[in-house]
Amino acid sequence: MKEATLRQILVVTDGCSNTGMSPVAAAALAREQGITVNVIGVIEKSELGEKGEMEIREIAEAGGGLCDIVYPQQLAQTVQMLTRKAMTRTIHQVVNKELKEILGDSGIEELEPQKRVQVAGMVDELGEKSSLNVVMLVDTSGSMKPKLSAVQQAIHDFSISLHSRSGQSRMAVCSFPGKQKYLDVRIPWTEKVEQAHQISSDLAMSGITPTGPAIVEAIALFEHVKLPRALSERYADMESDDNEDGSLRDHVF
Amino acid sequence: MTMSFNQSPRIPSLPRQFQGKWNKKSYHVLRELGRGANGAVYLTTQGGVKRAVKVGAEGMDILMEVNVLKSVQQGRDSQVGPLLCDVDDLVIDGKPCTFYAMEYLEGEQLDRYIRQSGVDWVAVMMVQLLARLHVLHKHGWVFGDLKPENVMVTKSSKQVRLIDFGGVTKQGNAVRQFTEEYDRAYWHAGDRKAEISYDLFSAAVMMVRLAVDPQTWQSSHSETRHTVWLCDIIRKSDGLYPYRVPLLKAFHGKYSTAGEMRAEMLEILKDLTVAAPQKQKHIQKQKRTSGAGGMGISGLFVASLLLLAGTLYYAWFM
Repeated sequence: MKEATLRQILVVTDGCSNTGMSPVAAAALAREQGITVNVIGVIEKSELGEKGEMEIREIAEAGGGLCDIVYPQQLAQTVQMLTRKAMTRTIHQVVNKELKEILGDSGIEELEPQKRVQVAGMVDELGEKSSLNVVMLVDTSGSMKPKLSAVQQAIHDFSISLHSRSGQSRMAVCSFPGKQKYLDVRIPWTEKVEQAHQISSDLAMSGITPTGPAIVEAIALFEHVKLPRALSERYADMESDDNEDGSLRDHVF
Repeated sequence: MTMSFNQSPRIPSLPRQFQGKWNKKSYHVLRELGRGANGAVYLTTQGGVKRAVKVGAEGMDILMEVNVLKSVQQGRDSQVGPLLCDVDDLVIDGKPCTFYAMEYLEGEQLDRYIRQSGVDWVAVMMVQLLARLHVLHKHGWVFGDLKPENVMVTKSSKQVRLIDFGGVTKQGNAVRQFTEEYDRAYWHAGDRKAEISYDLFSAAVMMVRLAVDPQTWQSSHSETRHTVWLCDIIRKSDGLYPYRVPLLKAFHGKYSTAGEMRAEMLEILKDLTVAAPQKQKHIQKQKRTSGAGGMGISGLFVASLLLLAGTLYYAWFM
């Protein structure tokens, strides 16, 4: 196996989506295109209802990723851990698939534990060396406001984690709902995020939480994905509108 | 640890009794010992011997820990962590699960131990801990998630052992797992590359945390994390002040091995234990002959000036 590129979308939210397509379906769509979707629920007390909790779990499951529900203080640490675990998992699945081709139906479970320890070492090493592209998708609807400083800290912190890897890493940060579209790109693809980035400024004021549509638009940020026609037209509009997003455009098209 | 009540897949719970698929060893589960980020540890008996058994949500993570435990086990006297006894699979709720069994270490978590036995033990335990880290580093690993909860003091021999190897990372890679309070990047003192200096930074923070009262430590949460805050605490603490040079050096990544830091800490520890009775004698003498006493006092004054200069030097140049 060569060094792969791993693609992830990390959704940071505190509640239920309430508009547009189902976020679970959107996550399934992402997975179909080789993008893993992880979800972190950020809560203040136990404000996240059963419905919200279920949605978070379902998005992660459909997106082939992991989820966790944490207090704002734990966010930074959770972002790093969830990302790493999801990476290991993806690579494990690929390795397992290849092993199945070699070993027949059984796959890795049929190897004795001593041998599997070696495979684990290999999986870990592949995870470290492979390229990683992550889009962080931050829910900035009303109730998230008090948590945004923690999110901002976590973004910068995550950038340090990515920078500490041996493999190439890139991240982009988007907020939803966006001003005109479902999401706004706050930080285009970058290898290092400066602390100065203010995600809490200049937000779209809105009560809607379009998690599903935002995931679909986030998929479009990965260059290997061909956009559905409707979406590519929308992004084409944007392109002519504001030229500041030039760096983003390079990667989208 | 994190309040993760919803992480998928969940950490499985062991049945009361089970047998390994490959090695066919039977285990009776007595109770749960604890839950970490990667898995749960249970106290069991196997063939009449107590064993700690760890299961986790992700088999790969468990196997990575096995990998580390195996590699540091060459030479039984190393005593870095518990001895590995068995690696095997079992089926829980129809799903295959990997587990490993290790020597059951009876003892107390380092922070609880210090709370019970007093802060005098902090430096002693740190010196021991640095010796363990030195061995781990020599095998090419970095512990990563160093914190009092992951350090155990054995009941019988008062030996420090590392437990929970979930954060152990190959040197040069990105640290697999960390806890913010002890994390170099979180204190704005560097990145998360698994380097020896990363562990030594955590060790130094841990020493500060163990030596001060919980209220003082809690106040760190309200501040922007910076090592200046730690230096402030060290300056104000009688227990930490003598160790300010090695602590500052660790904060600034000036040590290339844990052994170096250990040697310097040990030197100070020895000086302190030897100096204590001398000081008393000194005071008695002072009462009798004021001349000699005066010299002693001026000597102390000069010494403290030198120490101050040293601290300033560190504060200035690093």
